[in-house]
Amino acid sequence: MQRRRFLIGSLAGLSVAANAQNLFGAALAQAPLPGLPGGADDRVLVVINMQGGNDGLNTVVPHGMPEYYKYRPTLGIAPGDVLQIDRNVGFNPVMKSFKSMYDAGNVAVVQGAGYPSPDHSHFRSTEIWQTAEPEHYETTGWVGRYLDNAELPENNLFNAVALAPVLPELMIARRVDVPAVAALAGFGLSSDRNASQRGAFAAIDRNAGVPFSSPYLSTVATIEDHAQRGSEELPKLIAGYTTSASYPATPLGRSLALAAQIIGSRLGTRVIYVQHGSFDTHAAQKGTQDRLLGEFSDGVKAFYDDLAAHGNDKRVLTMTFSEFGRRVAENASRGTDHGEAAPMFLIGGGLRGGLYGEHPSLDTLDNGDATFNVDFRSVYATVIEKWFGRPTKDVIAGTFPTMPILV
Amino acid sequence: MNAAAPSTFRPAGILPAEPLAAYQGAWSSRLAAHLLRRAGFGGSPSDVQRYAGLSCADAVAALVHFPPTDGYPEPQLIDDETPGMAAMVDKDQRRELRKQQQLANVSWWLDRMLATPAPLQEKMTLFLHGHFATAQSTKDIYGLDIVVQNELLRRYALGNWRELTHYVARDRAMLKWLDNAHSVKAHPNENFARELMELFTLGIGNYTETDVRESARAFTGFTFDRQSGQFYFNDRQHDDGPKTFLGQTGNFNGDDIIEIIFRQTAAPKLFASKLLAFFVYSDPEPELVDAVAALIRKNAFVMLPVMSTLLRSNVFYSERAYRALVKSPVEFVIGTYQLFGITQTKPPVVGALNRMGQLPFHPPSVKGWDGGSQWLNTQTVIARENFASSLMAAPEMKQSDSWLTQGGPTSANDATFRLARTILQGDASSSSLAGVAEYLDGQGTSAGGALSGENFEERMHGAAYLTMAMPAYQLS
Repeated sequence: MQRRRFLIGSLAGLSVAANAQNLFGAALAQAPLPGLPGGADDRVLVVINMQGGNDGLNTVVPHGMPEYYKYRPTLGIAPGDVLQIDRNVGFNPVMKSFKSMYDAGNVAVVQGAGYPSPDHSHFRSTEIWQTAEPEHYETTGWVGRYLDNAELPENNLFNAVALAPVLPELMIARRVDVPAVAALAGFGLSSDRNASQRGAFAAIDRNAGVPFSSPYLSTVATIEDHAQRGSEELPKLIAGYTTSASYPATPLGRSLALAAQIIGSRLGTRVIYVQHGSFDTHAAQKGTQDRLLGEFSDGVKAFYDDLAAHGNDKRVLTMTFSEFGRRVAENASRGTDHGEAAPMFLIGGGLRGGLYGEHPSLDTLDNGDATFNVDFRSVYATVIEKWFGRPTKDVIAGTFPTMPILV
Repeated sequence: MNAAAPSTFRPAGILPAEPLAAYQGAWSSRLAAHLLRRAGFGGSPSDVQRYAGLSCADAVAALVHFPPTDGYPEPQLIDDETPGMAAMVDKDQRRELRKQQQLANVSWWLDRMLATPAPLQEKMTLFLHGHFATAQSTKDIYGLDIVVQNELLRRYALGNWRELTHYVARDRAMLKWLDNAHSVKAHPNENFARELMELFTLGIGNYTETDVRESARAFTGFTFDRQSGQFYFNDRQHDDGPKTFLGQTGNFNGDDIIEIIFRQTAAPKLFASKLLAFFVYSDPEPELVDAVAALIRKNAFVMLPVMSTLLRSNVFYSERAYRALVKSPVEFVIGTYQLFGITQTKPPVVGALNRMGQLPFHPPSVKGWDGGSQWLNTQTVIARENFASSLMAAPEMKQSDSWLTQGGPTSANDATFRLARTILQGDASSSSLAGVAEYLDGQGTSAGGALSGENFEERMHGAAYLTMAMPAYQLS
């Protein structure tokens, strides 16, 4: 079955110089025929983690709410500076590129996203957003559980890729080992330059009996094997792609450029993780947040320009999250402390843009924090069902209504 | 084939009876090497032999009762921001000086780990750095700020950790890192108060959001003097009103808060479970955590007797603990240098450690490094292999009169046996060692003839790299 699909892929002109035995047959099987984008098997989700807790109020600014200016005497953004969406809210002035994407109908803003009994710890709240399990500790991530259940080809090393130095919790799966790639330049074994060493390295039988038992043994053996094979193949598999946009020279810009390259090379990759931050602005918030939001706005614009130039913009959905928003009132250090609800963004050529959910009230606060209106798991459920065509129940415990963003 | 996320990394099997009682079993170079990996960074092959020649009790005593290390020189002050010096450089120069200082600080510590006569002291300091994790690259932490904190942690490595926590709350780098230096009566900053409980002492679930807000009020006024850089209690900015914290009410200050925290049963438990995960194995059983927590409480948070007991215990030498931890990048790098007799690090090691995911003085967040399975992914494993490979090709390897090439050419089998014993304590499969022997003998892809006097040194370096690429070398 897979063999046959491999041949179809090759005939369609997608053959790739993969020398490892059968390693990428399955990857190619996932590649659609040119000219037929958009099937559920062809869709990619890019998740951007805005690490550190992004201040939602200075991202999507409620310039129509007088309380906002009362709570933000120095950090408040004047109505005339806000990139207005409507009479109530608008984007931070550094997000001009992003606003243009919004105006083109390619951005959905989910206002007031959060979850019940919000946790104010970076680490626990990050865990909650990544595991989609606020009530107990869970060892797998929500993307990991999607990957485990999506019947993806087992021998494709690139079903999902984390563009990060450390594998994020949301990609921890039971059956799928997701490679982490911090940057392409460092993703290669230097001993590959020495053919006899490379041969001997590849030949090491790492799973064979060793005279000790360790709970990490099979993990180490698997990852060493994947590091060897993956690093040899990935640069070759994506070498044919030409970047068609000018990305900002920032870590996020570089990650998104690599994401577009992986997507455009059609390796069967379903999910790509990218991180951006840190947004933990306890002091002197304006400089840090403006820089980071500007990098985000310009980076995402370049990403979609690049995707569009290769005909990929409609098959790529990007979703942002951050572990929490920040306290409504600014603190004495011209910063903000850990808060609760904040907006999420969904971006792509295949969605219905606009505002979703209500902006959190600033009249009634929960101990100084904005409360959520939309459970973030509703957004995840929308992605799982409407984008990937999979049942939410395999991925997330509980029932959450989907939103009419993807139709 | 995949083993991405077992539900737990706790070893299989059962906890030994009397897990903390002194180990009475056989002592060997294999267990001496295990002790040196855990209580230090691995040591040289001759260190392993020396410790194997002692009894287990004497080996642990030698590590715990270490010689004084106070005289070690501080790193050079490059980024001097005293008023006179500060006026002499512009913004770009300042940025460059800060970078150089950060690099010098990291190299200083790595060299100290490498050369120390007190490996356990450095290992505990590394534990405490991950525990009270502070990064020198942000929040205006500059010059020797992080080194001052590091010396504090070192001074208390086996000392009283309750007392240490009081000093950490006064430490300049910490006051900047978690913003308490700016926390004032009118607007308390919660950053330090929260992490103090969540990460440093109690763990999540053992306090409420109200406790965070109330203790943040108690820490207002904990700051440092801009001129001297010394801790300073600014009573004008201190909220002197009554606070209710963990069920008690009073006009508490930060020190009162720490004293209340250390009376909670959750405090010794948090230290116990973190120590076990760092020194023994991941995800320790609740009964083992409780036993170590009781030991910590009995010793009133003085760590010398706690570590003496732990490093001599049945559970520490059990099969459950053996190779049951993933080496951290620092352990991997320092251990490899010690293995090959290299006595000084070179600046590229900083980039290598960064790629492996652990650059000292640059933890990713105040939570420190998660460790365990988080150390390992394709990218970090590539960085580890590349470090080993470039070290084997480095000039200092050619100069070092190492066990690796001592005695000159030998047979491929004997050479393989030497590599397996010295690098892995024999913890390799026979089929993978057969692969190393074949490589040494020039069999395989790009043969180049059998092992000879001509190619011996080069082949041994290649074979050492291959031996370090075996799973056991990633495990402590």
